[in-house]
Amino acid sequence: MQQISLLLASLPDGILLGFVYGVAAMGLTLIWGVMNVINLSHGPIIALGMFGTYLIFFKLGLNPYLGLFLVAPLGLLLGILIYVVAVHRVINAPHLSSLLATFSVNMIIIGLGTAAFTTSPYNVDFNMGSVSLGSTTLLGTRLIAALAAVIATGSLYLFLYRTRPGKYIRAVANNRSAAELMGIPSSRILALSFGLGTMLAAISGALIATFFPFSILSGGGYELKSFVIGVLGGLGNPVGALIGGLTLGVLEAVIPAFMETSWVPVIEFGLFILVLLVRPNGLFGAKQ
Amino acid sequence: MSLLEVRDVTSGYGEVQILWGASMKLDEGKLTCLVGGNGAGKTTMLRSVMGLLKPWSGSVWFQGQDVSRMPAYTKAEMGLVLVPEGRQLFTDMSVYENLEMGASNKRARPHVKKNLEKVYAMFPRLLERHTQKAGTLSGGEQQMLAVARGIMADPVVLMIDELSLGLAPLLVLQLFEGLRALRDAGLTIMLVEQNVQMALAISDYGYVLAEGKSGIEGPARQLIKDKHVREAYLGL
Repeated sequence: MQQISLLLASLPDGILLGFVYGVAAMGLTLIWGVMNVINLSHGPIIALGMFGTYLIFFKLGLNPYLGLFLVAPLGLLLGILIYVVAVHRVINAPHLSSLLATFSVNMIIIGLGTAAFTTSPYNVDFNMGSVSLGSTTLLGTRLIAALAAVIATGSLYLFLYRTRPGKYIRAVANNRSAAELMGIPSSRILALSFGLGTMLAAISGALIATFFPFSILSGGGYELKSFVIGVLGGLGNPVGALIGGLTLGVLEAVIPAFMETSWVPVIEFGLFILVLLVRPNGLFGAKQ
Repeated sequence: MSLLEVRDVTSGYGEVQILWGASMKLDEGKLTCLVGGNGAGKTTMLRSVMGLLKPWSGSVWFQGQDVSRMPAYTKAEMGLVLVPEGRQLFTDMSVYENLEMGASNKRARPHVKKNLEKVYAMFPRLLERHTQKAGTLSGGEQQMLAVARGIMADPVVLMIDELSLGLAPLLVLQLFEGLRALRDAGLTIMLVEQNVQMALAISDYGYVLAEGKSGIEGPARQLIKDKHVREAYLGL
């Protein structure tokens, strides 16, 4: 009985958090889906998003959610820069080259971040009040973060399916040389896609910073979660990423009600391996 | 002056040389074909002309301009359009979106409506299926879509690689009829074919490519009677 009430109390929080995980995973999965590159700098970019919120809140005194309108374009530009400098030349090379290239970017960001912020934890104390629904209390920050995540997902979907550059991204993902033959400058489209993936990572970091303490090293954990979610939802599938994110959020809320919290990663990654073995294209299907 | 001129191009993949000096000229408003056996280098020639493959030497001239070093998307924007071998459709996108992507280049965008009407009139089947994913079409419908997508790019020169490959003879005939109609409307077309007899039958002028080198050329009506061509490619 006690477990049930604990579960009811933590489940909504898990779901709200799941939306944000979904956005992070979407960033990873978009880049993979378009150019078959696993972006190992995903984690540190999430951490940069967190520090973006921190700086905007404390140095500029802006509301962190308004700050998203600053974090998002900066994330986009950073991604384009990373693509041009580190990814473009290895895009057709074997996967190991792009893994190493993005891993190097990962190390550079962590190094610079450590120099600027050290590795000690930061905290954005931002209170948006809370909403009570019967026995459960929903934190305002998580509600707004979930809402922002849903808006980000919806915008990405509309962008990919309703706008010209979005359709170019899908065309390049589908068949790069055919896109080039139709007059689509595929290198620029790849840079844009990498920028968008990075932007989503930065947004998710900016949202997470409003409810958990963080350091420049915090991104790693969320990067791993993004992998699990990506595999659950099928790499290259944005809607699958959102559903996978919710699944993970729920798991993280449900598991501690029944066993030690330390079991959470064991079960998460056990599931990861199971899905890889049984449904390697993800539970919700995706490109081959 | 010819619209497209290929001068003595050599090219290949990695260390493997495929083209050993290929040349050809396309005259405006004519249907020209490039024929040759399997492995003669026809597709390599098209890829080199488009810039998907860098020519090792020689040059490609389009509308009097040296375009040898230009990327494929720039050439598409200038009006040099290739319908590639194996269709290369955007299989995850709808028929309509494929046509829309055909009209990506700046020159074609203002003519989307006119060209859509044109391709739907030419291939009514595509209109019936316009919301269907391209990957779910039959082979013949996919080839129609590939040609239609090329027309949507509003080409000055339309190059088609292996139009007839794997298609039923009746459908090939229908597609060839379509091309002839486009030629009669003033479009310059280059047809690259293994099906030598059919290609020569509808073309104005023909080139034979053998072992990566230009060989015989001439008006298609004469080539079809040429003793060497008949023996080597028509099995007569």
